[in-house]
Amino acid sequence: MHAPIDGRALHHAAQGSTGADHSGPPLAVEMIGITKYFPSSEVLANDRVDFAVEAGEVHALVGENGAGKTTLMNVLFGLVAPDAGAIAVDGRPVRIHHPDEAIRLGIGMVHQHFKLVPSFTVAENILLGMEPTRYGFTARAAETARVRGLESEFGLPVDPAARVGDLPVSLQQRVEILKTLQRDARILILDEPTAVLTPQEAQELFGVIRGLADRGRTVIFITHKLLEVVEVAHRVSVMRRGRMIGTKPIADTNVRELARMMIGREVLFRVSKLPAQPGDPVLEVDRLTVNRQEGIPAVSDLSLRVRAGEIVGIAGVSGNGQSELVEAITGLRPAAGGTIRLLGRPITRLPVWDRRARGMAHIPEDRLTMGLNLHTTLDENVVVSRYREPQFAHLGLLVREKIRSLAEWVIRQFSVAAARPGEDIATLSGGNLQKVVLGRELSGEPRCIIANQPTRGLDVGSIEFVHQTLIDARDRGVAVLLVSVELDEILALADRILVLFRGRIVGELDAARAAEEELGILMAGGTLETAS
Amino acid sequence: MIGDILTVAVLRSGIRLATPIALAAIGGALCFRAGVLNFALEGMMLVGAFTAIVAAFWTGSTYLGVLAAVAAGGLIGAIFAFFYLRYRVDLIIMALAINLFIAEMTVYFLRTFFGAFGSWSDPSIRQLPDIAIPGLDRLPILGTLLSSHNIIVYASWIAGVAAYIVLFRTKFGRHIRAVGENQSAAETVGISVPAVKLFVLVTSGCLAALGGAFLSVGHLTLFTRDMSNGRGWLGVTAALFGLNHPVFVLFAGLFFGIADAIAVRLQTVTTIPPSLVQFLPNIAAIVALVLVGLSGRLRWGTLRLRTRPPQPMAEQVDAKGP
Amino acid sequence: MTPRRRGQILDALLIPILAILSGLALASVFVLLSKTSPLVAYRELFHAGFGCATLTRCALFTTLERATPLIFTGLSAVVAFRSGMFSIGQEGQFVLGAMVAAWLGYGVHLPPVVHPTVILILAMAVGAAYAYLPAILKLRLGVNEIITTIIFNNIAILFMTYLVNFPMRATRGSTAVTPVIDASAQLPEFLPGSHWGAGFILAILAVAFIWGYLWRSVPGYEQRMAGEAPGFARYGGIRSGRAALRGMLISGALAGMAGAIEVLGVHHQVLQGFSVGLGFDGVLVAILGQVHPIGVLMVAVLFAGIRLGAQIGLQITTNIPRELGGGILALIILFVAARSLYTDLLAWVARITGRGAAPRKEAA
Repeated sequence: MHAPIDGRALHHAAQGSTGADHSGPPLAVEMIGITKYFPSSEVLANDRVDFAVEAGEVHALVGENGAGKTTLMNVLFGLVAPDAGAIAVDGRPVRIHHPDEAIRLGIGMVHQHFKLVPSFTVAENILLGMEPTRYGFTARAAETARVRGLESEFGLPVDPAARVGDLPVSLQQRVEILKTLQRDARILILDEPTAVLTPQEAQELFGVIRGLADRGRTVIFITHKLLEVVEVAHRVSVMRRGRMIGTKPIADTNVRELARMMIGREVLFRVSKLPAQPGDPVLEVDRLTVNRQEGIPAVSDLSLRVRAGEIVGIAGVSGNGQSELVEAITGLRPAAGGTIRLLGRPITRLPVWDRRARGMAHIPEDRLTMGLNLHTTLDENVVVSRYREPQFAHLGLLVREKIRSLAEWVIRQFSVAAARPGEDIATLSGGNLQKVVLGRELSGEPRCIIANQPTRGLDVGSIEFVHQTLIDARDRGVAVLLVSVELDEILALADRILVLFRGRIVGELDAARAAEEELGILMAGGTLETAS
Repeated sequence: MIGDILTVAVLRSGIRLATPIALAAIGGALCFRAGVLNFALEGMMLVGAFTAIVAAFWTGSTYLGVLAAVAAGGLIGAIFAFFYLRYRVDLIIMALAINLFIAEMTVYFLRTFFGAFGSWSDPSIRQLPDIAIPGLDRLPILGTLLSSHNIIVYASWIAGVAAYIVLFRTKFGRHIRAVGENQSAAETVGISVPAVKLFVLVTSGCLAALGGAFLSVGHLTLFTRDMSNGRGWLGVTAALFGLNHPVFVLFAGLFFGIADAIAVRLQTVTTIPPSLVQFLPNIAAIVALVLVGLSGRLRWGTLRLRTRPPQPMAEQVDAKGP
Repeated sequence: MTPRRRGQILDALLIPILAILSGLALASVFVLLSKTSPLVAYRELFHAGFGCATLTRCALFTTLERATPLIFTGLSAVVAFRSGMFSIGQEGQFVLGAMVAAWLGYGVHLPPVVHPTVILILAMAVGAAYAYLPAILKLRLGVNEIITTIIFNNIAILFMTYLVNFPMRATRGSTAVTPVIDASAQLPEFLPGSHWGAGFILAILAVAFIWGYLWRSVPGYEQRMAGEAPGFARYGGIRSGRAALRGMLISGALAGMAGAIEVLGVHHQVLQGFSVGLGFDGVLVAILGQVHPIGVLMVAVLFAGIRLGAQIGLQITTNIPRELGGGILALIILFVAARSLYTDLLAWVARITGRGAAPRKEAA
């Protein structure tokens, strides 16, 4: 099963031909044998990848995190220099060393992390690098006119004078798209564009994408959400572990087949687990308010409880107060109002270490800057939440033997590959790093685990390991609060699901009976009554 | 008492003394706007002071001396940019090294070429002449304050306004700010980040060195070891105090200049020892920093300089290593 | 020891050695300006800095004497840096420690041993207190500590100038100096005629103590975690602010102690312009010494030797201004900071000798 690469342009280029005799219009993009090895992380991100996109199509590029999709697109956009391979754009062989050259070829990229200047206005951002000038000075009126022109051409309304930093994410994304269109991009690369959107906003984006295709633009759409692919793409290419697995017209395939191509076997859509046996409440949050900044609440009047032996999932689109909620519960951010209790005792004002000493564990959202200190050894990483315990600290000195045996326990129990206690931790891979975090957090027999996006950026094997670890902990009677933007994860793990929208719980669902559609409506701020 | 101290003469002298600080501060503000920490302003100013007087002596023209100083400062900025952009040298460590190098080597050259120890001058060197502004010089008080300064004083005012126009009214200035605020946003639209950083470092070198030239051939006609005497650092402080806005920065420089002038004045009208009086600009700087810190709490967070102490290089090298 | 660890240590030694050689090579251009052969100049420099002919004419002893304050100020910088604070306030803390020692040395009369002990403790307290201010400004208001510590250095030096010229001035003599301290306060010396003495022993002890503090003690662990990965420290329940403050207090105490030892052990009084950048050199020693106590010990001796060699060997013997020593040190720092230059150089050498890509290129 191999991609239908015809190698027309590149073949002719190699022959020195003018390339006028091929059938049909030239491919918008053709990439052949792209190989990229990252020595610093020892990752072969692209292994002889072939990829072809026809002009005017919406082409989905799917694969799991780390499959090499973004690397491939960065090669196309001139951000990453490939070790080997050839590229043709519109039938002409090209070398792209810099985004400038990509832009000149009519390629535009909307990155996952927007490349916007927050203090600049919409117009300033869209025209950045190609500002109209008048007598050598920037000209506001001309800028506004240009943006208005774009708006009407593509039917994408924006306010040219608004500050980008004040706009919601979906509008920032629109600014990014307009930015590429302003540069006459005929080939648009969208990197995981729906990751930051509600399902409804995603629908709106699909409308925009279809509109672009109708106007003759080519769209390459990177994602790992297969339902979206079926909905919006004409053709789909699947990558796995740096290799191109295949390309198919959307009409000839289905979600199940794509999933198998993506993962390499049938996916388990549900993790096998026994019904929960909930016990007494362990974590009780009452009318909690948390501020993002002085006077600006991110979480308002939120109440929830997690009992021993159950997993409560918090679903929601990223940026609806998840981080602030977790930080308040774990003690990293003060609560502006309300109370938090752990095992019946109020902990609202206790410092982090005291909460941890009382049995709270925390799997942080950002394992590289919060969960771990990459500048030091594995030993010093596993002891950070427990170094106050008398067994690890004696008369103000660290008890190194005990710390070492803790590290050994974590390595053994969580099968952290290629790790030794005294070694620098930076040598480990992403999945193994998360195992170290899990091992540390579970080593102290916690009563309550707060897990925030625990599988972000991990490969399938590691995801399963994390899921199984959390379920095992639940079965031992630990209370687990799982915060995740991945609906699949919430549906697979949680016993009860709470939906977070703009800092409030807007619905509670029994996980066994929850449907993805219902969750989607709630996540977007709708109610179930109006939906039914 | 206050009337004795805050006289028109003191204000005028404050405007003059503000010149080197303001010039360094405008350069610093440009760098900070582009996201480059320039802590080498002190050395750049010192190199300007030294070059100006030596070149004035050799060429016989004070103006050529000033030009040479500006070129020397720009050269230091270019060297700084080269190591930073090509070898990713830590900006602060390099600034410390450059400041030390210039402080030591100016004295080295002074001794090698002129056999002078603490300070050096030559009767052939003429001070930069004061230039009266026609019309303005006939106004009472305002004329005394603002007219009949030398060219570097006027240049500092022009530099402030010009830097404002460049930063906020031109395409290139917008690119500078974009680089400082979100470098990858600038990169992806084809703005040359190295060119922007080279520009701000060279320009700040030129400006700080011009301030140095003011010290050695504008204010006095001599060079002493370590002549900049912390004014480059006051420039860094003034840039922060002026919120990295060139026009505000001019006034922040004026604030320190007047503090300095008051210190000088206090020495003549009181018996307070000079070393105590010189506390004044330093205390003023601390007050300014505290004010910036307080305002930083009120959501001007972008003004905070983020610096990280040096790490052992074995760890740095291996942070991404195999 | 794993190969990786060996590689790290090799890096830590090889790069400084290459940097020293490059610094000397580049500085030879300036030596030529003064019409001397660089080889002659450097021979004199090293002879006068590190030579040791006889026990009574041994430059190395003087170098070790001069390395003593640098070890302390270097350690001071290490502790501050390792808590995440880029403090370069050693100069000011040093000066205040020295003033405390000078004042209590003649102003208070105590029996031997007790006298210097009391003085050292108070000098440490004053140094720590002076480091507290920038630390608090940083932690509470986010005021950049590099700038504040530089300004605090200015203030301390002005304050010293005032004290030496007015309240603490010895009555006789035209130069501004403080009275000589009591014999009971002076630190013992190893050899007559050399000031190399008890201070050096204290410095070695301080190296061992700081090493143990940073890598074996709980507060040291806390401050390193806070300095290396602030988010991680907070997440783990370490009170980073406190850890950083503690680091700054220890840093200030070390620098204050350095100033006191310089007075008690070497000068026995304070004269105007007393500290010629000993605090600031400590920052450079820490950077060059890999922000590690052992590195500080080695680099402090190197620094002191080059400074001494420049002063005696260059200035007196060959008539080259001693400032060249400082220039060389600045160049060495620059080359260490620009170490990827060497990997580039290696790649270039490999290319022109036709041996393919340099093996080390990816490590940088």
